[in-house]
Amino acid sequence: MNIDLVASSISLLTFFGISAIIALSLNIEYGVAGIPNFGQALFVSLGAYTAGVTYTRLMPLLAGRTPLEPCASGNMAAALALRGEILKSMPLVALGNFALTLLLAAVIGGVVGLLASYPALRLKEEWFLGLVLLVGAETVRIIVRGWPPIICAHNGLSGISPPFGWLPTAQIRSLAFAGLVLAIAALCYWYSERLVRSPYGRLLKALRENGSVAAGLGKDMARVRGQVMVIGSAMAALAGVLFVTNLGFASANDYGVALTLDIWVMIVLGGLGNMRGALLGALIVTLLDRFTSVAAIQFNMLGIDIEFNYVRYILFGLILLLMLRFRPQGLWPEPRRTTAANRVLAEQAGAAGAAASQPGPAE
Amino acid sequence: MPIGLLVDSLATSVLVGSLYALMAVGLTLTMAVVKLPNFAHAELISTGAYAALIVSLALSGSPLLVMAAAFVVAALVALLTHWTVFRPLSRRKSSTYVLILASFAAGLIIRYLLFLLADTLDLFDKRIQVAQEVWLQAGPLTLTNIFFWVAPTSILLVVALSLLLNFTQLGRQMRALADNSTLAAVVGVPTTRVVNLTWLLVGGTAGVGGALWGMYTFVDPMLGWLAILSVFAAAVLGGLTSFSGAILGAYIVAFAENTLMQFLNYSFGLDFSFKPAIPFIIIILMLMIRPQGLTGLFDGLRRDAQMER
Repeated sequence: MNIDLVASSISLLTFFGISAIIALSLNIEYGVAGIPNFGQALFVSLGAYTAGVTYTRLMPLLAGRTPLEPCASGNMAAALALRGEILKSMPLVALGNFALTLLLAAVIGGVVGLLASYPALRLKEEWFLGLVLLVGAETVRIIVRGWPPIICAHNGLSGISPPFGWLPTAQIRSLAFAGLVLAIAALCYWYSERLVRSPYGRLLKALRENGSVAAGLGKDMARVRGQVMVIGSAMAALAGVLFVTNLGFASANDYGVALTLDIWVMIVLGGLGNMRGALLGALIVTLLDRFTSVAAIQFNMLGIDIEFNYVRYILFGLILLLMLRFRPQGLWPEPRRTTAANRVLAEQAGAAGAAASQPGPAE
Repeated sequence: MPIGLLVDSLATSVLVGSLYALMAVGLTLTMAVVKLPNFAHAELISTGAYAALIVSLALSGSPLLVMAAAFVVAALVALLTHWTVFRPLSRRKSSTYVLILASFAAGLIIRYLLFLLADTLDLFDKRIQVAQEVWLQAGPLTLTNIFFWVAPTSILLVVALSLLLNFTQLGRQMRALADNSTLAAVVGVPTTRVVNLTWLLVGGTAGVGGALWGMYTFVDPMLGWLAILSVFAAAVLGGLTSFSGAILGAYIVAFAENTLMQFLNYSFGLDFSFKPAIPFIIIILMLMIRPQGLTGLFDGLRRDAQMER
């Protein structure tokens, strides 16, 4: 048994970066703004489906070739070969197509996020939104799985690889992709931190803590919810493009409730509302995921026939339950943020308090 | 649509509808009395199915024994989830989101424990060992003894549960809890005991539902999960806390999934792989357009079985 340490740490970093972006997106939606998105897999899948469409239609056009119908049994192999050939020989087309895919995915994710926030205004009880999002995600998955034009229905679509096919060795290719993923993750992290620290971020927390009070103060909470869903969903869709290109294969069944639950484990474990917590959660979940799959291989080689995938889900379920019960604030809780105004007010209150405690005639 | 297909799909609708009704009344009871949208209800169903399967393989295929085993095991598992997961969380005044998330997690654990069990004992895609025989053959319609076990048993249990809710001390206490738990406690309803009994009933009926489902098709750890969103759709059609509404909803969902689907397939060539989307669309439309459910539409017919308000 020979584990290639460099290759596996590169792949681990790539997985971590992708999980981090997804965790950040849900942390903005639920951790900060309190929107219970039990359908985050949908928005991740939108990125994957966008990539499926651009890789088969847009990329050949950019390369000046005729797109082949990717799902017809006659030219499935030819279409796959065409994708591979373009990725290998035309760096500019590969990168340009990828950039356009990211952009398109973010736009589509944002639009669908906005549409999904629409029911939020009309639902009688708060948790209905969670159910609607969960069920909406499953509906889209079933439609994509049954309707060929997007990713060839239940067959899935292969050859959705990172745009670095033109680099010489596999090691360099995966290193370049890991670098790209981590750069995008860093950008998302920076953006999320800025967002939470801004006045707008405080508005989001007001929405989470008590929407009626914020509405009473004249904030249009329905609009804010819509905006947050746009931001979170666009980010999740970006991650979806990276997710699918990392796998190299688009299949609707990868984006079910199981993926959504993984994301929830990340943010509940790390710390709701804290962006660093989300990163920590993403890291731990990625490591556990890796660990269980490596352990599975090891155990199978020792002849112990235990399905480690099951153990993984039991473990994740236990983590979620234990965290919710014993440490709901997460491993790295949300810090108390103080602004300049906060400090001035505290000083004044301190001074007033000191004055009040002075012995003297009462007014 | 040929008459054979129509009759056949209608029979399936009645059968599946009865099963959904049995599962949905338990879910409705949880939402009304415990105020919990319990996604782990799915795994109570699967647990019952596996209890039934194991008893039918190890002891005997007597339908009554099989169902009793399913009832007892699933009821105990339900009570266990209440004690270990939901009660501590609601004592801490956790939000509904946290409770929903916890129910997902509890369901995940039970589901994959069942997977481990099925893996070690080789119990995938097995049928509950109840001998099949044709009891009724009339033209295009063939009904086996399974049909006559599944549909009437479900209906009987649903009726029994409604009677219990409406005419017994326990039922009155449950409704009092559903209405206003603080007030119920103040006037001397033994809330702890009533909630425990509710969980036993909820788990038991879910378990029997699973056992009957396993007689009709196959037993698999995913069985409950694959049914749960249809069951939720039934409950949503009933306005989530109405018993009679959930029963009506169950038959509507089953009819849409079978007869309507068969019709759409025959007339418009809609592929059967879209069938799972039907209950999802029902849920989304109902929650947005008519969250109070269908029951309000028939106010004249409504009895006080409706626990809302």
